Amino acid sequence: MKPHFRALAGLGSVVAGIALAQQPGAPAPAFAPSHLTGNGPRAMAMTCAPCHGTNGTTAPGAPFRPLAGRSQGETIEILGQFKAGTRPATVMHQIAKGFTDDEIAAIAAYFEAQR
Amino acid sequence: MRMDRRQFLKAASAGVAATGLGGCAAAPSAPKARVVVVGGGYGGATAARYVRLLDPSIDVVLVEPNEAFVSCPLSNLVLGGFKGMADITTPYTGLERHGVKVVRDVATAIDVDKKQVRLARGAALPFDRVIVSPGVDFMWEALPAMGSADAQARVLHAWKAGPQTAALRRQLEAMPDGGVFVITIPLAPYRCPPGPYERACQVAAYFKSAKPRSKVLLLDENADVTSKGPLFKKAWAELYPNLIEYRGNSKALDIDVAGSTVKLEFGDQKGDVLNVLPPMKAGNIAAPFITVNRRWCEVDWLTFESKAAKNVHILGDALQIAPAMPKSATMANGHGKVCASAVVNLLNGETPNPAPTLVNTCYSMVSDKLAIHVASVHKYDINDRTFKAVPGSGGVSSAMNEAEGTYTMNWARNIWADALG
Repeated sequence: MKPHFRALAGLGSVVAGIALAQQPGAPAPAFAPSHLTGNGPRAMAMTCAPCHGTNGTTAPGAPFRPLAGRSQGETIEILGQFKAGTRPATVMHQIAKGFTDDEIAAIAAYFEAQR
Repeated sequence: MRMDRRQFLKAASAGVAATGLGGCAAAPSAPKARVVVVGGGYGGATAARYVRLLDPSIDVVLVEPNEAFVSCPLSNLVLGGFKGMADITTPYTGLERHGVKVVRDVATAIDVDKKQVRLARGAALPFDRVIVSPGVDFMWEALPAMGSADAQARVLHAWKAGPQTAALRRQLEAMPDGGVFVITIPLAPYRCPPGPYERACQVAAYFKSAKPRSKVLLLDENADVTSKGPLFKKAWAELYPNLIEYRGNSKALDIDVAGSTVKLEFGDQKGDVLNVLPPMKAGNIAAPFITVNRRWCEVDWLTFESKAAKNVHILGDALQIAPAMPKSATMANGHGKVCASAVVNLLNGETPNPAPTLVNTCYSMVSDKLAIHVASVHKYDINDRTFKAVPGSGGVSSAMNEAEGTYTMNWARNIWADALG
């Protein structure tokens, strides 16, 4: 790793306020391949529930529209904008970056099918 | 009484349903399997609900001593006077509607060989798999004078939301203006890393309006604020000037309860109200499954099965954390889902998800309206067999803001509904 990258990575973790486990120069994590079939999409979609409700159905009074029943295309577009940093966000830009485009498409398809 | 067609159909279908139930009662079809969940906090309640959601043919019994769920997140707002206990309390009846049998009792032991959970009052509960979500218990031995019940009744932790939350609020209300409220913070890891610093904000907000000559003093065994440090320090300086004092590297060695004094390595600190957060460890019911430092439990992260016992799954704050994984409510909720999914798979002879994901979002209210967050996304590393934060994801708020205050309340409503039905 080049020194200026190392410096940037260090700054990033300070700014993020998260003690990322990865030391500068440590190998990149070997994440399990995305599980896009079977219950994989549902398992990923479950992580949205603390803010967006079980299966994308929000509790009353939510400050945003439910994810359940939204078209796959719209969810992909919005999450893509969060990921690219082109849509105003408080937290979703940071969370969207944790998912690959294929994972986002699978999550979006799952929510489209929810009622 | 005349019935129209719609009413007739409704009554008829109700009759069918009743007949169906009657048939079941006459010749009960044995459930596929029984899962006992010990502890109805964020992790356990979520696991209980999601096992039922994913496979309604599995019997789920939740053992929980408390009558209702009281949320630790938002409980600092009770100390600030912005919320009441009712606002952070949710009954367990929602879980019962999802077919979870809630047993109000205390689990006294988990018999791994006999596969049953022993209870303080009721008969032992047999299980095929048990999910233990024990939360934390306190290492009082680190503060010798706090060992007695009398001392613990006078110097509160309020780190398990419930009667202590209300009692600490009463102590703050009774404190004279000009008093000092002292919070001691143990070395990380402990439950809810940003919690003590949020508490300082909430109590300072109360002092600012009601007791402006008073002060909050944080005595932190850690060298510096352990979570959202720059954001908290900015909130303290801008919202509560001269109301909050922070001292890092300040380890509490003992408490002089009668003298209302914290004994430190260097000197003593008197306070008008003491709030002592002792070092923490896995909740006592999980003691046989502790494998790290006599404090925490290790699990297989794909299933949350204990490394110390088969068919025993452990969740939440009791775990030896994966790198960068906080002991938080959202994380325990995520544990509950990965675990519930794996338990359902295993009881059905299926392979658990090989690529589980956890997302953490922790909001802290720095006033009655303004909030800050820390977020992270964690995925399973197949070489190291642990969760790791996804590089480039996660982060904290750019600044305290009102939108996230709204999102905090939204988070609470949704996660309570997600965990408790």
